[in-house]
Formats: sequence, structure tokens, C-alpha cells
Amino acid sequence: MHLTPLLMILIGVVVGIMVGVLPGLSPSIGVALMLPATFGMDPMSALVLLTAVYLSANYGGSITAIAINTPGTPGAVATTFDGYELTKQGKPMYALITSLTASTVGGLVGTVILILFSIPLAQLALSFESYEYFALGVFGMTIISSLAGDNPVKGYIASLLGLLLVTVGFDTQLPFSRFNMGIPQLADGIEFIPALIGLFALGEIFFSIEHFKVLKKEVSAKKAIHKNKKLPFRKLWKLKGLMLRSSVVGTLIGVIPGAGGTIATFIAYNNAKSTSKHPKRFGKGSLEGVAAPEAANNGSVGGALVPLLTLGIPGSASTAVLIGALMVHKLNPGPQLFENEPGLVYGLFISLFLANLVMMGLGLMGNRLWVRIIEAPKKLLYPLIIALSFIGSYFIQNSLFDVGTCLAFGLLGWMLKRGGFPTAPVILGLILGRMIEENLRLSLVKGDVSDFFTRPWSLIILVLAAVSFLLPIIKKRLNKPVKK
Amino acid sequence: MRIYKVIATLLFLIYLGLLFYLYGGADSSKAYPNKPITIVVHSKPGSSIDLMSRKVAGLARKYCPQPFVIENHPGTQGIVAMQYVMDKKADGYTMLGVTKSFLSTLVVNKSNVAISDFLFLSNMISDPEAVITNKASGYKSLQDVVDKAKEEGRQVWIGPGTGSRDHLMALKCWEILGINGQWVDYKSGPQSVLAMLRNEAPVYVGNPSDILGKDDLKILAIAAENRLESLPDVPTFKESGYDINESMWRGFAVKKGTSEIATAYLSEVLKKVSQDEEWIAYCREVYSFPDYLDSKTFSKRIDDETAETIAYLKKAGLLNSYVNKGPVPLLMMAVIFALFIFFVLMLITGFKVKRLTYNLILSGVFVWISVFFFYQTFLFKIPEGLNITSPALIPRLWSVLLFVTAIWNLVNELKGKYKPVKSGRIKLTGKILLVLVLYFIAIPYAGYYLSTPFFLLAGFYILKYRKWPVMIAYGFGFVVFSFVVFQLLLKIDLPLGSLFM
Repeated sequence: MHLTPLLMILIGVVVGIMVGVLPGLSPSIGVALMLPATFGMDPMSALVLLTAVYLSANYGGSITAIAINTPGTPGAVATTFDGYELTKQGKPMYALITSLTASTVGGLVGTVILILFSIPLAQLALSFESYEYFALGVFGMTIISSLAGDNPVKGYIASLLGLLLVTVGFDTQLPFSRFNMGIPQLADGIEFIPALIGLFALGEIFFSIEHFKVLKKEVSAKKAIHKNKKLPFRKLWKLKGLMLRSSVVGTLIGVIPGAGGTIATFIAYNNAKSTSKHPKRFGKGSLEGVAAPEAANNGSVGGALVPLLTLGIPGSASTAVLIGALMVHKLNPGPQLFENEPGLVYGLFISLFLANLVMMGLGLMGNRLWVRIIEAPKKLLYPLIIALSFIGSYFIQNSLFDVGTCLAFGLLGWMLKRGGFPTAPVILGLILGRMIEENLRLSLVKGDVSDFFTRPWSLIILVLAAVSFLLPIIKKRLNKPVKK
Repeated sequence: MRIYKVIATLLFLIYLGLLFYLYGGADSSKAYPNKPITIVVHSKPGSSIDLMSRKVAGLARKYCPQPFVIENHPGTQGIVAMQYVMDKKADGYTMLGVTKSFLSTLVVNKSNVAISDFLFLSNMISDPEAVITNKASGYKSLQDVVDKAKEEGRQVWIGPGTGSRDHLMALKCWEILGINGQWVDYKSGPQSVLAMLRNEAPVYVGNPSDILGKDDLKILAIAAENRLESLPDVPTFKESGYDINESMWRGFAVKKGTSEIATAYLSEVLKKVSQDEEWIAYCREVYSFPDYLDSKTFSKRIDDETAETIAYLKKAGLLNSYVNKGPVPLLMMAVIFALFIFFVLMLITGFKVKRLTYNLILSGVFVWISVFFFYQTFLFKIPEGLNITSPALIPRLWSVLLFVTAIWNLVNELKGKYKPVKSGRIKLTGKILLVLVLYFIAIPYAGYYLSTPFFLLAGFYILKYRKWPVMIAYGFGFVVFSFVVFQLLLKIDLPLGSLFM
């Protein structure tokens, strides 16, 4: 291996982590922003650089999710559930190290699966039709029953709010815009990233300013952070099984084109909670709740490369940009790539391994810096986060309307939190609503309702969805009388 | 604290330098062009029009002393980019990458932009539409498809989008080939190609490059005048006896009102690029063909094709208005629903304002949202005879479910199942919100760089942080930091404000 790819990995990881940390910059935007810089490089360096950015941006998103309750990328939404709780308890380092380790494990497992099983997995990607996509979307939604906490009704309301808001914009089958109230900027629907930033970052800030006396408790928080600076290794070791399992879940879902790592994180979180020995700790600062989504998120990277390399079809928004990169270098993505350019493909595999290790190393160094930020006085931090959220919302489309969206969702987040409504289900609805509607309606055009239950994969996923939705409710019912 | 004073002074000075750099202004006395020319592209980096624009930018260096810079403004099928160009001065420094898909975008969308707002400089390249099948389907030629369709009476064609270029191509083909076709919209190119790899449908309408690296797929015919040099074995529609020419062209335009000097200059550069051998080779590589048209012929073609687009959209029943006007304007209806729900809430609480708690109002808001969305779905007017499911289906499902759960929540609330909300420091939060809204309003006028430090300082102050050197250091330091990260490294323009530009 030459020195240049190594340098590219290093640059890629640094850029990727930065992209992940900055709210608004999702991995796909990061890869797209780096793409023009690679036009002059040789294909190997270009591909290595871009995949390193993609991989580490998925990790970077968890840092701000943990530190300031702002998922830097959509894939880090599930990490906020427990990661930010840990920070509030003065244990940000626990969450940061768990997330870093889980991301690395996820990335490595994803790469191994990519190398060993890409051909059979391509068949899985091919066998998923609109019926299965719909089922997967529904499966993703079922996590609300474990997120809802004490008041399931409030969780349902929040998720339905998200589902309803995402129907604003272009219809999925006719060229007309629904519910846009005559506002031209809403013709394409509500922009997702500003809504995400508003709901999580601004909502949390408004709520904190109103309620918590954090502003006065700064000093004791600082002490707690110093006390909990090192995560005992045995605590991390306990998570090994969960990390491996979640990585595999992430990779498998990453393989399915268009499903995306974000759904994988929700499913992994749900799975972790339902199999955990301490399900009650979830949402209150459980390390398992940080490890599962992060492992799944980075596992999905290896998965998304499977259809790219074997079928020539992008598995995610980021790999869609990678296809552009391959085309620039006159390479045809698809099975011919293995035959014509074996050196490139295997070089990419090796560099993925290395990128994961470099990410781990840089992440460990970075953690000290992130803790510094968490320690900064909240009175200074809050206005700065607000300004950063505004930029993050602005530059996606260079639109001030999106900044307004961010502000509006910030207010919504605050109002919901005041009333005891969880905000995460709103985001869940916004993420999955389109996928559910598009694929349900396409399926109904192609066939009829019975197809959902006669196709094996679709049936399996729907049954899993029903179980994962009902299980927490049944468990609760069974437990109640015992308590009394 | 002393060190902070030094840092604060330093950062403030850097900030002042920054303002001078940003607002100092370019020397406009020199002849055109005296600064870089921006090409605005409506999709993400890596898309075909983006790659094409970058190629043109690279080659244009040979013929123009100033560099061409690509800016990507994706969103709403190009409306965002068009609007962005319209908001800029017509000074010849902003070019827009245009494609044929803009025609239907502008016809279908009701936006402030129109085709007549632009001056089309020249077309550069064209990408023929292609009819693609899976080798396993057994179709050897276009004629096989036509015969099979006539035998079966009805045939499914797939592709991305409804009312998209590919859809219109299918409509045109059906008309000329005499097929009773049925369009199934697979939303995106990749999803359509996946369906073709599964051999789910007989025909997919796409572009020649879609089959790159996919051995199972085969192009039956391309809608171009001549065969492509890069695909010598693929026949044209013409060869099969059908006169269908349909290609996705890509060229450049500027805002109307740009000076004669600038448009003539840019046209000349584009013409030279189009004759460059490297350009011609590029067109071949991407399975397209060089298709240079000057401003006049290009504009003529656009006029003709707009008329054709409208005709086909009309024929497919896609150009109707999809939403009926209700008995009263929508906003009025929203207010009526709100008042009604408020009245019901008051009725339940016995007209005592004190008992109308925050939680009750919030539940009322949810009921209102569900009712309002549900009402709007009844205004949808769906054209008949299309192979679709109703756009009202899913919104109705969600709004009914939201209505039920919101009422359920309301009942729980009234039964006193939940603890009342504890109000905290509303005044403090209100102050922060007020400053935030003022900041939001100020950005478009005063610009990001001027308004941000004041917002930050006000924010720190309201949250009762009073160490001025630290505040100044953070306030101005953040702006300098964001300039370095966003403007210098990521090349993202933050708004400079209309007052000073």
C-alpha cells in the first residue's frame, strides 16, 4: 500500500468527523462537498477519501448528539435518547467512549460482511420490493412503543404529528403539492434537517432555560465530569455481544437500497431494549442504548457498499454520490468492477479497515476536546448552539426559510416537552412517513393488500413489527398487578 | 482575565478585517469579466448536470481569463436554483445550468419563476431517452415490445416520476407506437433499475448510462437522430420506422436583462468549449452526444418543446388543478375550526379561563391539526383514469388516528390522570425567543456577519453572563470561526444582507 491512500484516510477521517459534528452536514452532504476535490486524484485515492468521510461522518454525528442533544446527522437521533442523558448525569465520557467503540466495531463488522458475503447479500437487496420496504418502514415505527415511556398516548400523538407533517409537499404519485397552504417554499415539503435540529437542539435549549437550574449547577457538573472521565473496561466488555448483534442488524438493513442507516439505528435500539436485562434503564442513560444504534449506524456503511459494488445501485444517499465519483473516473459500478478493477476493490476493502482504526485513534484524542465543550458554561454555550443551528439549517438550500423551519420546530419541541410529549417520535414519523406512504401506494398499484402477507420477507417483517409493537405493552400489563 | 482581554481585542480586530474583506467590494471599473463567474446547478455534486458543468468550467479556462465556479443549489426540481439566480443581479456573473426537465417543472409547479425570465445562451450536450428491458424478458427488438403490447392489450412501462421527462417520453412512445400503456412510477432511477434487474416490468424508460455495468439489461432503442458513437450496436427509433426524437438536453442560461456584452462573451466561450476535442470526447464517454445550439435556435427549441410538454401533460390529465377551492378560503376555515374547538374546550371546562390549562390547550391544538388536515383532503380533485391510489388515503389515515389519540389524551387530561405542567422561567425564555426572532428578521437585511455577534452578546447577557472580555471573545470569535469553516473550507456563502450589497 502506498503512502497516498494512508494520507487520504487520515484526511477523510478528520473531515468526516467534522462533517458529522456540525449539525446540518449529513454524511451525504459531506461526501458531496468533498467530491469535486477528488476529480484530480487517481481513482483509488478518490474512493478511499470519500468512503473514509462517509464512514467517520456516521460516527461524528453521535458526538453532538451526546454532548448537546443535537444529532449531527439523522443517523444519530437514537443516540440522543441515552447519550444525552448520560451527559446530564455528568458522564459524557462514558457515552462518548461507548459510541466510539460501538462505531468502530460496527464499521469493522460491516466491512467483514461486505468482503465475505457481498454476492449473496446482493440477492437480498434484489428481493426487496415495495412490499418489503413498506413493512420495514412500519417495523421502524414500532419503536415508539418502547420510546413512549409512561404515557403511550402522548408518544402516539407525537409520532402521528410527524407522519402527518411529512405528507406536506409533493404527492408521491401525482405532480401536485399537498397541504402547502400556498407557500411556495413548502411545495417540496418540510426540509428534514432544519426540523431535526430545531426539534432537538433548540427545543432542548428552550426547555432547559425555562426549567432546569443547570445554570446554577455548573460547578458540581464539572466535578462529576472529572470524576467519571474513565469508563471501566469491564463495562465496555459487557456490551460486546450487543455491539456485534447490532452491527449485523445495521449491515443487513444497510444492504437494502434506500432503507438507510437511520432505520437500522431505530431497529437496533428497539432490539437492544427488548432483549436487555435492564430495559428500565433505557432512556435514562443506558450504555446499551448508546452502543446499539451507533454500532448499527456504522455497520450500515459496509452494507450500503454491497449494492453499489455488486449491482451498481446506490444503497444510500452517500453511496449515490460515490457512484458519481466512480463515473468521473470512468469506472462502471457493478459486478464488472470486481473483474476489471480487482486491485481497486480490494484496496478499498483494506482501506475501510484502516479507516475504522484511524477513526478510533482520532476519536479517542477528540473525546478530550468534546468534554471541554460540554464543560463550557451553558450561559455561553446555548447562544452559540443556537447560532450554529441557524447556519446548519441555512446552508442546505441557502434558504432563510429553512432557518425559519428550524425556529418553528424549536418552538414545537419546547411546547411538546412542556406538555410531557416525547419529541423523538415526531422525528421518527418525519423519517419514515414518506417511505411508508410511497411503498404502500406503489404496492397497491402493482398488486393488492394480500401481497403483503403472501410474500415471505414482507410477512416476516410485519410479524416482527407486530411483536415489537405489542410486546412492551403486554409486558407492562403483566407487570402491573404484580407490583400492587 | 487579562489573557481574555488580549484574546477579545485580537478577535475583534480580526472580525473588523473580515468585514472589510467581505464588504470592501470588488473593483468594477475593469472590463467584463473582472471576477469569477458562478455556474448555479440544481442538483447535488456528482449528478450528470453537475459533472457536465464542471467539465465546461474546466475547459473554459482555456478561453476565458476568469475562472468558472460551480455552486449547487438543489431542491424542488430546480425551482430553488432558478429562484437563486433570479435573486442575483443580471450582471453576467451568474449562469444557470438548465436541462429539459425544467420545462415540465415550470409548467407543473406554481412558482414565481417563468421560462421567460431567462435568456438561454447555448445548449451543450444531449442525452437520448432510451427504452430499456431485461434480457430475460425475451424482447429482442422494439418491434417485439410493440407486438406483445398489441397482443396483450395493455402493457406496463416504468420509470422515475409522474409528469417527469421519462413519463412524457413514455406517453409520446405509446401514441406513436400505438400501445395502450400503463405508467408505474418507481419514484427514483435506482429503484426503477432495481425493478428492472428483477425483471418486474417489460420496459423501463431511462437513459443509456443506466445500463452501465449491468449485464442483464439491454437497450432496445434510443430516441436520437443517429446511433451513439459509444453504443454502435443500439438502434434508433427511426431505424425501426418510428419518428421519435427525445433527448434530455443540458445547456446554460442567464437572467434576462444581462448586458449584450456579457451574453455575447459567455456565448462565445461556450461555443469554443463545444468545439474543443476534449469536450467531444467527454460527450462520448458519458453516452451522450455533443449538441451545440446557439442562443436563437436554443430558444426556438425551448418554445416548441414547452408547447409539446403542455400538450402531453394535458393529455395525460396531469395539468389540471388538483385542489378544489373550498366554500371559504383555507385560512378562514382554519380559524373557524380553531374557534370551534376552543369553544368546545371552554364548554367542557365550564367557561372558567383558569381551568383551561396549558395541557388542555395543547390537546385542542392536536385535535385542530387533525381536523384541518382531514378537511383539506376533501378538497383534492383527482383526475380519473390514472393508475394510482388516492393521495388522500394516507393523510386521512394519519389524521383520523391523530384525532382519536388526541381525544383520548384530552379525556385523560380531564380525568386528571396527568400531573399539571410546571411553569418555569417563562419570562427568561421569552426574552431569549424575542432576541432570536429579531436575529432571524435581521439576517436578510443586515447579513449574517453583522447580526450574529450582536445576537450572541445579547444572548449571553440575557442568560446573566457578565464577563465582558469572555463574551466579546466568544461572540466575535464564533463569527470568525464560522467564516473559516463555512466560507473558506466548505465554500458556503452566508448571507451578506441586502442593506449593504
